[in-house]
Amino acid sequence: MALLAALAVPAEAYIGPGAGVALLSSFLVVFTTIVVAFLVILAWPFRMLWRLIRHGRKPKPWIRRLIVVGLDGQDPKLTDRFIAEGKLPNFEKLAKSGCYHRLRSTFPSVSPVAWSSFSTGTHPAKHNIYDFLDRDTRTYLPLLSSTRIGQVERFFKLGKYRIPLHKPELRLMRKSKPFWTILGEKFIWSTILRVPITFPPDKFYGAELAAMCVPDLLGTQGTFLLYTTRPAGERFKEGGERFPLELAEDRCETTLRGPGNTFLEGEPPLELPLSVEIDRAAKLARIEVGAEKLELTPGKLSDWVTLSFRAAPGITVSGICRMQITEMAEHVSLYITPISLDPEKPAMPVSHPSYYSTYLAKKIGPFSTLGLAEDTWALNEGVIDDGTFLQQTYDIDKERETMFFAALDRLRQGTLACVFDATDRIQHMFWRYIEEGHPAARGKEDAEHKDAIEDLYKHNDALVGRVMEKTKDGDVVMVISDHGFSSFRRGVNLNSWLHAEGYLHLEDGDDGTSEWLRGIDWSKTRAYALGLTGMYLNLEGREAQGIVKPGKEADELKAELIAKLHELRDEEKTEVGINDAFDTSSLYSGPYLKNAPDLLIGYNAGYRTSWDCATGVVAGPVFEDNVKAWSGDHCIDPRLVPGILFCNHVIDDDDPALIDIAPTALKLFGLEPPAHMDGKPLFEASSFNGRPAKEAS
Amino acid sequence: MSFLNNILRRLFDAALSPFSGLHPLVGIAVVSLVLGVAMLLVFKWTSKQEKMTAVKRQIHAGLFEIRLFNDNLRAILRAIGTILHHNLRYLGLTVVPLLWMIVPFVLIVAQLQFHYGYQGLEPGAQALVEVELDQSAGGLGGVRPAITLEAPPGLLIEAGPIWVPSARELTWRISAVEQGDYELVLKTSDGEITKSVRVSGQVVRRSPKRLAAGFFNQLLYPAEDPLPASTPIRAIGLSYPAGNAGFEGWESELTWMIFFLVLSIIFAFALRKPLKVTL
Repeated sequence: MALLAALAVPAEAYIGPGAGVALLSSFLVVFTTIVVAFLVILAWPFRMLWRLIRHGRKPKPWIRRLIVVGLDGQDPKLTDRFIAEGKLPNFEKLAKSGCYHRLRSTFPSVSPVAWSSFSTGTHPAKHNIYDFLDRDTRTYLPLLSSTRIGQVERFFKLGKYRIPLHKPELRLMRKSKPFWTILGEKFIWSTILRVPITFPPDKFYGAELAAMCVPDLLGTQGTFLLYTTRPAGERFKEGGERFPLELAEDRCETTLRGPGNTFLEGEPPLELPLSVEIDRAAKLARIEVGAEKLELTPGKLSDWVTLSFRAAPGITVSGICRMQITEMAEHVSLYITPISLDPEKPAMPVSHPSYYSTYLAKKIGPFSTLGLAEDTWALNEGVIDDGTFLQQTYDIDKERETMFFAALDRLRQGTLACVFDATDRIQHMFWRYIEEGHPAARGKEDAEHKDAIEDLYKHNDALVGRVMEKTKDGDVVMVISDHGFSSFRRGVNLNSWLHAEGYLHLEDGDDGTSEWLRGIDWSKTRAYALGLTGMYLNLEGREAQGIVKPGKEADELKAELIAKLHELRDEEKTEVGINDAFDTSSLYSGPYLKNAPDLLIGYNAGYRTSWDCATGVVAGPVFEDNVKAWSGDHCIDPRLVPGILFCNHVIDDDDPALIDIAPTALKLFGLEPPAHMDGKPLFEASSFNGRPAKEAS
Repeated sequence: MSFLNNILRRLFDAALSPFSGLHPLVGIAVVSLVLGVAMLLVFKWTSKQEKMTAVKRQIHAGLFEIRLFNDNLRAILRAIGTILHHNLRYLGLTVVPLLWMIVPFVLIVAQLQFHYGYQGLEPGAQALVEVELDQSAGGLGGVRPAITLEAPPGLLIEAGPIWVPSARELTWRISAVEQGDYELVLKTSDGEITKSVRVSGQVVRRSPKRLAAGFFNQLLYPAEDPLPASTPIRAIGLSYPAGNAGFEGWESELTWMIFFLVLSIIFAFALRKPLKVTL
C-alpha cells in the first residue's frame, strides 16, 4: 500500500499536457487497480458463501488440473514411424511414463463432428453436427452446419443511416452440453482455446476462445484477396477474390473492399483507400491502407495490419490481415490474407466472456480469430507458395501456443483444452511430398518443403516437451488428435456416380456443371451427395421436392445404394475407392438423427469426395486425380484414420475413443457423467489410488 | 536569461494581445490547445511510443485478468503485481519526454502566470509598493534609508513610506487614478530605479515583483528586467490583486493554472488519436 501511495501524482509533477495525461492515467491505473482489487477481494468470501449455499460443496476431484493438448489430425502411423526413428523423444517419453493408444474417431472422421463429440461425449445424433455443411431442405443449398448467422431486420432511420434495433441472430447448432459447461455448473474452471465448433462461444464458468466457423470480416469462412497486374483469369474456385492492380509508373491507387455496411440501405461495401507504390531500386513495395503504412519486401509476409472501416459517425468495424507481395517483376501481385475479426474489438462474439479475446489481444498481441485461420485456399489456388503457407501456419501456431501457456500459467484447478490446427493444415497441404507418385506432386519431386510433415511432428514433439515441463503433481495431461490422416490421390464425384446410376437426374438441357446442385431435376432425383461424406435421399416430407417415401421405400433405396457402393472400384487404378457406405440410423441414435445424412461414405485410403462433388457439381468423371496442393485428407472410412491418445497416466481402457474424453474429464473432477453421454470414462478411481489430487501422480 | 526573457516577453505579449480584451478563459483555452498540441508532438517524438503502447497493453491485460479470475485470489494478486510493475515501467518511459519538456514548459508557464495570475489595478484601487533593501542601503540602527518614491500622473502616493528595520523593507500605499501603463520611480543615492504599474482590466502582462539579477529570480519572475547590480534594492513588489480567470470569488494566483491544466489535458486526450500519440 505504501508503494501505491507513493505513486500518487503530486500536482507539481505536471509537466506539459502530454506528461500530464501520462501521469494522470498512470495514477488512474493504480487507483482503478486498487478499487477493482479491493472490491473483488471484498466480495470474494460472500460469493463463495453464496455458491456453497446454492450449489453445495464442490465434488472431490481426483486431480488438480486436466490439460488437453489437441493436435488436430496427428496420425498414429506417422507418429509410430517417427518415434521408431527416434525423432519424437517427448512423445516417446510420455508414452513410456503413461500410455499411448490409438483413439477411435467419430463417424464421419471430420473435425467439426469429432471435436463436437470430444466436447459433449456424445455421438453426432445427440450433438447434431455431421459435417462442415448441412443443406437447406427447402432449397437444397448448403448451409454451415454449426452456426446460423441471421440478419438484422428492424432498423431506425436517421438521415441516410439506419440504426439496427437488435443484434442479428447468432446460434450455435451444436446441441448437448460440452463437458466444460457441466464442470462449470459445479464451479470448476475451464479454459477452452480454439476447440472447433464453439462459435458463438458457450457460456459457462470459464473462458473460451471460439474456433472453427468463426467467419472473417466479410462474413465468409475465409476469403483471401489478390490485387494483381495479371490479366483476369478464371475466378478462384475456393475462398479468394481477384482485383486488378493498374500500375501507372509503378503506382496504383485503389480501394480495399470490406464488409457490407449495415448502417446504409443496400449494405454497400465499406472501403479503405489502398495505395501501392513499387520501388524497384529498393526492392520493396510501399503500401498505404487506411491509416496504416508499411513496406513490404517481396516474398515476406507482413505483421498483422489493422484495418478500420468507418461504418457511420463514431462507428468503425475493425479487422486484421497480413499482406505479401508475391511477385514484383513483370507482374506485381499483392496477396492479402482473409481479414480476421479484430480480437481486440471483435465485430462478433468470438470469446466468452466477451472481453476474453480483448484480454488475450492485450496480453499476447493480435492473433487470428478466423475459424479456419490458415489460408489453405490461397495455396490450393497457387496464389502463395509452400513457404508462405508454412510461415503463416507456424505463426498462427505460435499465437496459439502463447495463449495456451498464458492460460496454463493462470490455471490452479480445472481444465485447459487447446486445439492446435497446424497438424491438420500442414498434412492436408503437404501430404503430396511424402507419398511417392502423388498426382499433386508431379514435377515437384525436389520441393524445398518436402519434409514439412516430418518437421511438423518434430515441432509437435517440442511442444509436448514444453507442456510436460510445466506440469505438476496432480495434473493429468492428454495429448490427443481427433483423427489420423491419409492420402487424397483420387477424388470421387458421388453425384456423378448417382447420375450415371440413374438416381440423380438433371433438368433438360443442363450439363451438370453448375455448382451447389443447381440444374438437378428434383422431381426425378432419388439421392444426392453434399458435403464431404454425406449422401441424402430426396425424401418426401423432408426435402421440399422429395419423392422417396419414408419407410419401406427409403429403407430399400438405402440398402440398394449401400450394396452398390460397397467396395466400389476405381477401374482406372484397379483399386477399391469406397470401402462401405453406412446407414446412419444403424450407427447411432439420438434426437437429432433426423438431421443426419442418410448414408455416410467410407472412402478407402487415397480417396475422398472430389472437389467438384464437394461443391455440388454433377458433371465430370466419377473418379479423377487430385492435383491440388490439398493432397492429404481424413474424410474417409473412420476405421482407417484413428487419432492418437498420449497420457501421463495409464488409462483403464484398451480401446479408447474420442467420445470418452468428456466423461473422463467429469470423472476426474469427481462428477458422474450424465446418462446421455455415449462415452465411457477412461479412468477408474483405483487409477488414482483414492489419493487426494495433490498426491496423485 | 534576461535576453531570453526579453524575447519571450515580446513573443507572449504579441501572441496574447488578440485575447487581451476577451474573457480570460478564451485565451487560456487557446493557449491550452496550442500547448496541448505542441507538447503532444514533443511527447511523441521524444518518447518510445512502441514501448509505451506495449506496456499499456499489459496494464490493460492485468485489469482484465482481475476481472476474469475474480475467484482466484492468487491470480488477482499476481495481476495487481503485474499492473504495478508495468505502471512503474510506464512512468519510467515518461521520464525522457518529461525532461525534454520541463525547461520550455517552465518558461512558458512563467510567462503565462504574469498574464493570467493577477488582475490589473482599476482606477480608485489601492496597492502596496514594497521595497526590500540590502545592507548597503544604509538604515542601520533603525534609521530609515534615504529612498524616495515618485509617482507619475495617473497614480497617487497615498501613504508611506513605512520602514520595517527588521525586514529592511520600505512600504508605500499608492492608488490608481486613471487607466494606463506607468512607471514608479524610486530614487536612491545610487540613482533611479523604475517599477512598472499597469492600471487596466485587460489581460496583459503584469509584474508583481521586480527582482535583482539571478538565474532563479529571472526564471520565476521574467515579467520585468532584473534590477541593476549597483542598486541596494533587492526587490520591488507591487500587490496586484490575485487573478480569477474571469470567475468572481475564485481569486487565486493559480486559478488560471487549474483551468489550463484541465483544458490542456482534455485537449491532449482528445487529440492524441488524431495526432497518433500514445500517452
